[in-house]
Order: sequence, then structure tokens, then C-alpha cells
Amino acid sequence: MADFTASVYQNEFLPDGGTDVHAIVTVNCTGAGAAGQSGSGDAGEIIIVDTSGSMGRDGVQAAAYAAQTALDQILDGVWFAVISGNDRAQLAFPPSAEPVMVKMDPYTRQAAKDAVSRFYADGGTAMGTWLRLASRVFSTVPSLTQKHAILLTDGENQHETPEALTQTIEAVTGQFQCDTRGVGVAWQVDEVRRIAQALLGTVDIIPAPDQLAAEFSKLIQNAMGRGVAQADLRVWAPQGAEVLFVRQVAPTVEDLTSRRTSINPLTGSYPTGSWGDESRDYHVAIRLAAKAVGQEQLAARVQLVLGNDTVAQGLVKALWSADEALTTRINPEVAHYTGQTELAQAIQDGLAAKAVGDTATATTKLGRAVQLAAQTGNEEATTRLRKVVEIDDQDTGTVRLKRTVEKADEMALDTASTKTTRVRK
Amino acid sequence: MDVAMTSTTDTVCPSCGGAVSEADLFCEACGAELKPGTAPTSPALDTDTEPTVEIGAVPGQEAAGAGPCRSCGGTVGADGYCETCGTKAAKPRDHFEEQPAPWVAGVCDRGIRHSRNEDAMAIAADAEPGSRALLVVCDGVSSSLDSDVASLAAARAAREVLEAGHAQGLGTDSSRASAIAARLKAAADAASDAVLDSTSPDSPNPASCTFVAAVLENGMLVAGSVGDSRAYWFPDAAEPVGLTVDDSWAAELIATGVSREEAESGPHAHAITRWLGKDAPDHTPRTTTLQVSGPGWLLVCSDGLWNYCSEAAPLAELVRQTAADKGGEPLATASALVDWANAQGGQDNITVALARI
Repeated sequence: MADFTASVYQNEFLPDGGTDVHAIVTVNCTGAGAAGQSGSGDAGEIIIVDTSGSMGRDGVQAAAYAAQTALDQILDGVWFAVISGNDRAQLAFPPSAEPVMVKMDPYTRQAAKDAVSRFYADGGTAMGTWLRLASRVFSTVPSLTQKHAILLTDGENQHETPEALTQTIEAVTGQFQCDTRGVGVAWQVDEVRRIAQALLGTVDIIPAPDQLAAEFSKLIQNAMGRGVAQADLRVWAPQGAEVLFVRQVAPTVEDLTSRRTSINPLTGSYPTGSWGDESRDYHVAIRLAAKAVGQEQLAARVQLVLGNDTVAQGLVKALWSADEALTTRINPEVAHYTGQTELAQAIQDGLAAKAVGDTATATTKLGRAVQLAAQTGNEEATTRLRKVVEIDDQDTGTVRLKRTVEKADEMALDTASTKTTRVRK
Repeated sequence: MDVAMTSTTDTVCPSCGGAVSEADLFCEACGAELKPGTAPTSPALDTDTEPTVEIGAVPGQEAAGAGPCRSCGGTVGADGYCETCGTKAAKPRDHFEEQPAPWVAGVCDRGIRHSRNEDAMAIAADAEPGSRALLVVCDGVSSSLDSDVASLAAARAAREVLEAGHAQGLGTDSSRASAIAARLKAAADAASDAVLDSTSPDSPNPASCTFVAAVLENGMLVAGSVGDSRAYWFPDAAEPVGLTVDDSWAAELIATGVSREEAESGPHAHAITRWLGKDAPDHTPRTTTLQVSGPGWLLVCSDGLWNYCSEAAPLAELVRQTAADKGGEPLATASALVDWANAQGGQDNITVALARI
């Protein structure tokens, strides 16, 4: 049985008239067990592979090999399927005209590997059709409580309008989780990131096809290690208060504010997907009506909920004080993640400006990113930024855009922009 | 009290090890409550000296903390906060009342701006109206440690001594007055011992509090104080009288000719020159004796009340008017006076103890 704990990091002291309370809530999970084995339902896994013409013969072979490696990592007893996608989606395994899934065992594993080896490159790219088919395939197994897919693409979503993709994303949000990977440099980070964020997954670049197998293997291993099928973050705030935002801030920045569903007028629920043995940090900001100095009140109850069971709770407090020594303290965790969130935004804004040729904005934003990465000790981000800009002074954020930048480096900076480092305690 | 007697000392949070100040109620780093449940019957007290009376267990007392939220009427959650408005549920120590006899009552309240109630009160009375009453108020020095625990222990220890004493001296008025004054001194000694017992001997910032007690016995009224908590006699048909003189910076200024208003609004207005506690210079109460010749109100209070009305005459008027509004009922009157002080800002803890004589 998984064990959850919640810890709250905040400065609860507000000055006279102060209204905004910020807190970092760290939720830690141990003893999660393996996917589909917790007794609370079955796990399902779908591998979605781009087999469009642009993949080419070598690309498809590498993708097929990666899918076979992934199949080896899916635990026996887990329901699974394989989808090959181009401008439309086909169920590559199980071989069936209708959507269907089967349980993994040595026989189905071998049959699936054989099916995957027959992939060939042809047609265009319409990722929305792949997602819709995955959703239909998952829905054929009612016992599934944990649904996870990995999606591999190599190109732009050219055979479908952005609006159609948006509609599809909205339609399948909440149906399953999906980690997305782009191979090569011809795909659009924004497009694929949209899918991953909506489906509570990750996005990353795989620069060369020969790196595919290792990445797929890792993704499936992670998915199989998530024994807690689904958990929600619940945030209670007092009557008259406003929840300014709820963000996951570690291991990646994901704004959950708009994902709220109301439990009651004072409590909202935010999806967090499945959990393995891991720790995630959430930044919660609440605006209260100011009270008199000396008064104390609860600003938020932050809970992790499985089904209807609260498994961990953190209390965010507010205490109005006239003591400036208390009210002006900056909580290190809140400051760190505020910086990391701004870092993610600065990188994305900077790269977007660079893409449209707005050198001035790109230089300012990426300079700010360099500064924030240094201040928050995010060395990975600094390393990635270094491949895109020449850093003259990281303390002041003085940078120059590099004349020639590897496209893959730029995309890696973009996809990794939301990855955060933890506070050094 | 807002007296910075010694600076606060930094220690570490027992939960996360982060640096915290002694004044902190919760850890800055991890939010752990550092001084959980400073309830009146704190385990920090030496049980030998602790009265067995528990707040909420005495007839006429109301236990706060149970029941609906004081702020909005909502349900209080298991975590101690209202499930609707988030207001922290009051601890019993934050607000308590006593009414040992229908003619004697007191209310002790946290006020608004302080995060805990360091005022304390202990009163006792015989059933016969106007016969025998004793009212003790102690105000913990907020800059010292555990002063909420110390003040309550002190008030109750003093009450115990005063309740037990029946010595009448030789029976003459002056002899009876001396006997009661001697009891007051013994009560102050017991209160002082209770304060000393409530903090560890090597505490960097030992608890301290003020002391005021008034004893009415067969028409004789004796009051004594250490610090700036006060007793007043407001006869219905004569001039109101302040029975105590503050041991304070402000009182010393007044003695040199500075106006009361000016002295009591100065930056050191609340600095006291005598108190009970380990580092106290001297804790012998200065006593005043008075023969009660007619009906009136005996008021014993902390500065949480008199801050807003210091002079005897207007304070007498306030008490008379409030009593008139409440039909002369002592508990309702004391409660209304506390509400009045809170309405003025509730800057400090407020204690009002009244006897209708």
C-alpha cells in the first residue's frame, strides 16, 4: 500500500493589510508498487509509433526496434496495444478491425513484436487521429484504472488543422496519460508539448533514431513503476478567498490552475495522474481578505486524494503580524520555485521570439533565463542555454545569441524548459 | 504587556532543524507548531504547585474551543480550523470566564492583536452578596517565555493562599487590615514561586508577570499590586478611587509631574519597573486599605482594559453605564467591558474581574 506524506514550506506571516499567501507543498509517495498490481484495477499501456513517410525506412526500423524494446518492459498481465500512425491511425496489434487490447504474456509479447517488425513508412501525419484511436482502444477494457501511452512522432502535424488537434486533445484529456517524444528536428515542440501537458505526460527530444530504444525502455519502466493508478490534488480555501494558482513545480512546471473541477464551493480538485515512488512539489497561491494583526487563519488545506480517501494533507496558514522581521522573510522554497517557473517561461518566450526573428526580445528573455538559471542553481538549464547563447555575464543576464545553433540543441532547451531543480536544503 | 525585557534567543525547530526565534509560534521553514497547545493546565507546570482547577471544569465557566466557529458559526475541522472561513479555533486559554458567586465574575480574553492570551485571572467568593471576595489578575510579560503558563499558575496560587487565610489579627480594623495585607503578601510570594516553577531554572528568558489582588472581607477592602495591573473602587454615591499605583515608567513620569495622558502614550508607557519572576527586583505588593461604606463596583483589571480608559472617573462611568445596560449582572458586565476593549482595538490581552458590593 502506497504511503503519502505532505510537507508545507511557507512564510505564514503577513504584514498588516497583506492578502497573498504562497506555499510550496511537497508530496512524497513511497511503497507505490507496480502498475496494475495494487488490487485497485488493471493497468493499460499503448505504444503509438509514427510510421509516416518522412520516417523513412531507417527511421521506421529504429522505431520498430524501440517499440519491441518497450514491449519487453511491459509487465505480464498489463493490457496493451500498439498503434501505428500516419495521416490516419491503425491498430498494429492486436490484429483486429475493431479496437481491442490484450493482456501481456510471452505469447502476445512475441506476436506484438512480429507485428511491429512489419512497420513501413508511408503517408502523412495527423496525431489527433492517433490519440482518438488510443482513447477508443483504452475504453474497450472497463477494468482499467491506469491508462498510459507513449507517442513517438518525427514531423509536423501537417494533415490535420491545429483546431482539429486542439479539439481532439480536449476530447481525450482525462482519458489517459501520455508521454510524448519527438525524434529528429522536423517536429514542432509546441505542438507535441500541448499533447503531453494536457495528458499529464512529459515531452522530450530524441535527436537520433538509435537513441529511441533506450528512451522507450525507460519510459515504460517508469510507467510500470507507478503502482498508484490515479491521484488528485485537492485544495480547500476559505470562503471569500481566491485560489490565485495551483502549479506543479517539481519535477517539472505544469500549471494546474485551469484543470480545477469543483468538489464543493470551497474545494477544487486537480488531476495529478499516476504515482510511483517519487516526490512532487506544488506551488499554491491564495488571496485572502486581510485580517487584523494578531489574527491567524487557515489559508488552504492541500490534500492528496485517492478516489475519495485523503492520504496526505498539508495546512497553509496565514498569521498577520506587525513584526517586520517576520513578515519580510522570504521563504526559500517559494522563492526558488517562483524563479524556476519564470525560468521556464523566459526560455519558451525567448525561443519563440528567436524563431520569428525578434532578436532583441530573444536576447532579453534568454538573458533573463541565464540569470535565473544561475540564481536557482539549475546547472542543466545553464548548460542547455550555453548552446544557444554566448554568456557574457550570467549575474546580470548579459548574453548574445549564437550565430549558428544546432536545431536539436534549441529544441532540447525548449523541451527541457519546464524541468526544475529542487531546493538545495 | 509589550515590554521587551530581554532580547529573544534563537533556537532550532524540533521538526526540521531550521532556525527559529523564541517568539515564533510556528517554524518559519517547515510550519511546525513550536508551542503547541499552551493550555492553562500546561504540563510545564510543577504539579505540586498547580491548582487542580481546570478551565471548563468550574461551574460558571464556559469552555471555548468546542462547538461552532466563533467567527462564522461553521464547523471546526479536526485540524483546529474552521471548515468554512478558516479561522483558527480558540483555545480554552484564549477566553475564559469565572463566576464563583452571582455577585462576583470575571472574563479573561486574548484580545485581537496578540496571538495568545498571557493574561490570567483567579477569583473566589462566598455566596452571601458583599460578604467575602477575592480577585486576582496577573498579566504575563509577552517578551518572556511561557508567560501565559506562568501568569495562570501565579493567579491560581495566589487565590489558594487568599482562600485559605482567615486570620483577623486582634479584631480591630487596623489589625484586620494588617492581617489581610499580610495575606496579600503571602499570596504574592506564592504567585512568585509559581512563576519561578513554570520555567526551567536555566531558561534564557524566564517567565514573568504582573500581580494584582483585591480582597473584600466584612466591609474592608484591601488591594495590592506589583506591576501595572490595577484595582479600582467605584462607589455608587461617592468619588471613584484607584486602589493601586502602577510600578511603571509611566507612573514614575506622572510622579514627576508629567500628565497621565502624555506619560501613558509615550514609547515606554508599558515598561514596568516591578514584576514577578526570576529576575524580579522585588515582589512585595504595595497595599491600600479602604472601608466600604456603601454599594459600588470593585474592578480588578489588566492594562488591556485600562489602556482605553485610564482615569478613575471615566472608567467608573464606563463600568456604571455598562452595568446599567446589563441589568447589573457582573458576568454580563465584565463580558461587555471586554467586548468594549476589543472594539477599541483589542491591542492587548484583556481581563476584567468585577464584584458588585
